[in-house]
Formats: sequence, C-alpha cells, structure tokens
Amino acid sequence: MAASAPVTGRRILLVDDDRGLRHVLSTMLTSAGHAVQSAADGPEALALCRGGAFDIVLVDIGLPSMSGLEVLERARALPNPPVVIVMTADDTSETLLQAVRRQAYRYVRKPFPPNAIIEVIDGALAGARAASLSIEVVSARPEWLEVIAPCSLEMADRLQSFVMQLAADLPEPLRERVAQAFRELLTNAIEWGGKLDPSRKVRISCVRAKRMLLYRIADPGEGFDLDRLRHAAISNPVDDPLRHIDIREESGLRPGGYGLAMTRSLVDELIYNEARNEVICIKYLDQQGGES
Amino acid sequence: MNTLMHIDEQRIADVTVLRLSGRLELYDGDVVLRDWIDRLVDEGRVNLVLDMQHVIRLDSAGIGLLVGKFLSVRRRGGAIKLLHVTQRCRRLLHMTRLDSVFEIFDHEDQALHSFGVAA
Repeated sequence: MAASAPVTGRRILLVDDDRGLRHVLSTMLTSAGHAVQSAADGPEALALCRGGAFDIVLVDIGLPSMSGLEVLERARALPNPPVVIVMTADDTSETLLQAVRRQAYRYVRKPFPPNAIIEVIDGALAGARAASLSIEVVSARPEWLEVIAPCSLEMADRLQSFVMQLAADLPEPLRERVAQAFRELLTNAIEWGGKLDPSRKVRISCVRAKRMLLYRIADPGEGFDLDRLRHAAISNPVDDPLRHIDIREESGLRPGGYGLAMTRSLVDELIYNEARNEVICIKYLDQQGGES
Repeated sequence: MNTLMHIDEQRIADVTVLRLSGRLELYDGDVVLRDWIDRLVDEGRVNLVLDMQHVIRLDSAGIGLLVGKFLSVRRRGGAIKLLHVTQRCRRLLHMTRLDSVFEIFDHEDQALHSFGVAA
C-alpha cells in the first residue's frame, strides 16, 4: 500500500531553447498527467500565455531574443497570471534576486535531476492558491535580502529555497543546519505569530557578512513569554525529554514543541526582542566561509 | 502543501513495517503518517517499525508526530521503533535528546527480533 497525492491534469508551458531538455521535461510532465506545451523563445511563450491560461510556466533565463526574466515579469503582469518557475545555469546572486523581485515562484539551478523539477511543480500545484501570493521585496542585495511575505506555510518552502540559494557557496552540512534553523523560525512565525493568515505579514531579513550569516524574522503576533513555555521541549529537565508532551495534550496542542530546542542547537546565537515577536539567529563563519 | 510522503506497508506477524519516503514536516508528510498510524492502531496493530532511510527532510513537527505516536502506541501496549535513521535525522533526534527515547536499529532483522519476531 502507498500514499501520495500529486496533482494532475494542469496546463504547463515549458520555455527553453534547449530542444533536448524540452523533450525530456515534456515527456515526464505528460506522463504525470499534465497538458504540456512548449516554446523555444520568449515572444512565442508570451503569445501562448496570452492565448490560454497556464497554471505553471517553466522558463529558462538564458533565452535568445528575450530574457527569461522578462518573460517572468510579463507573464506575471497578465490577468490571472501563471505561477512561474525559473531555471538557469547562471548562479549569480544578482540573477536570483531579480527573479525574486519579479515574483518567481521558485528558482532552480541547472543542471538538475528531472525529478527535482517534478517535485517543485507538484509543490506549486498542491499549494496553488499560496503559490500565487506575492512577496514584497524591500532590499534585493546579495549581502542584504529583505522581504515581506504573507503568513502562509507554503511561503516557508519558497522563502527557504530563495534564502538558501544565496548561501549556495557554503559547505553542504553548514547550509543544511542553517536552512533547518531558518525554516523552524519561519514556520514558527507564520504559524504562531501570523496564525496562518495570509493577510498578515512576516518580515524577513537575511544578512551575509564575511564571518557571519544573520537572519531576522519579525512576525505580526503579540510575542510570547519564554518563562511560560512549559509546553516546549526547552523547559524539560535534561533527563526527561518528554515532560512537555503531557502539557501540550492538556492544552489541546498538536504534538511538537521541539522547534526552539532544535534551533538553539543549530545556530550560534538566538536573540529575541523584548516582546519576542522578532528573532535574530546568527551562524558564525570561519575565514574560509565554513562553520566557525 | 505538498503531500509528497510515500508509505509502503509490510506486515510481518504482529509487527508492521512502514517504509517512509519523502518529507516528514509540518502539515506535509506528518498528516499522512499520523493518519496511517491511527488506522493501524484502530486495527490493533501497535508494534510498529518506521524505516526512515528515505525520509529526506524532518522538522520539529515531524519529530513531534513521532513522539506523539510513540506515546499513544505505548499506552496501547505497543511500541514504535526506528530503522535506518539517516545521519541528518539522527542528529536532530540527538539535539532533542530523543535518541534516548526511541530504540533505533540499523538492520531490519534486529528491529523485528526486538519484537520477538524472526525476519
């Protein structure tokens, strides 16, 4: 027996001047039950977009005659805009940030295993409503990315993907630790501070210094009292990692409460403001950009 | 959210082995796994081995689910044991001190044997 629920039967437009890649992706997506059309350049893609409503446009940045970023911008400006996933071999931060500013849903670096793109597409389709939500870009410098995003859990995947692309040069184990910490803090802000309400916003700053990664997350909630977190694992005695579970059950909370304990172990510093609705987490780097 | 968690189930005597693949995260694979275990418990199958080899991501909610089900199954006289836990997941269990709570096995026959079942 097995359980999984991919969304099928959606309209997808592939835009890439690489005929071989178009063929491979088209075959995979068609096999997955989607209706797929292809275009080799930007003008052809936009003509197709204007002629029919696509759920997803998968576009390469390095297109002839018109950049994929321009296709992204124009497609997102259409009535009922599609979700746009950007593919590129250009791994500069500047390109990524332009894609974020122009409301790309996700940014996928080439080369990628075909299954990876299928997973991104499944994610976009499964959270279709959230995938169309906009991210407001306050600052799009590689050293300082700052965005304001709706409090929707689907945003956590999207933002985590963008933020970790900016740290692509770091060793993988370090990226994993930072990514996990960032996601725990962000989902906490969205779930508890933002009450999973997309009309409420979370503000995220990511600062990259020579010897430090810093993430600041400000949620719209009222904050919390650290001394009253009896339902969190950080309040447990060392020899009883399950103590808080009973308290959570009595309070009607889902099983959990391990986020703060995990995050504290993953980064070097975790600093809350007085109300505790804003948090800064810091990971120090050594001179080679590795873990300090 | 994605529902990319995939579960294969195998019943060996009174032990049920669930082979998980995908993401065990908040409102994602955690819902799939929770419902699956609830169904097994309703059937009276409370001796469970979770094969974690292909769990590609685990977060605090996923860990919370494992703990919640560990306790509810234990109250029914059974147990949840973990198999093939990746280094990444093992590190998270260590951070939360749950590596002292769960029995963790590297070989399936050992996990089954711990329930008194021959592989």
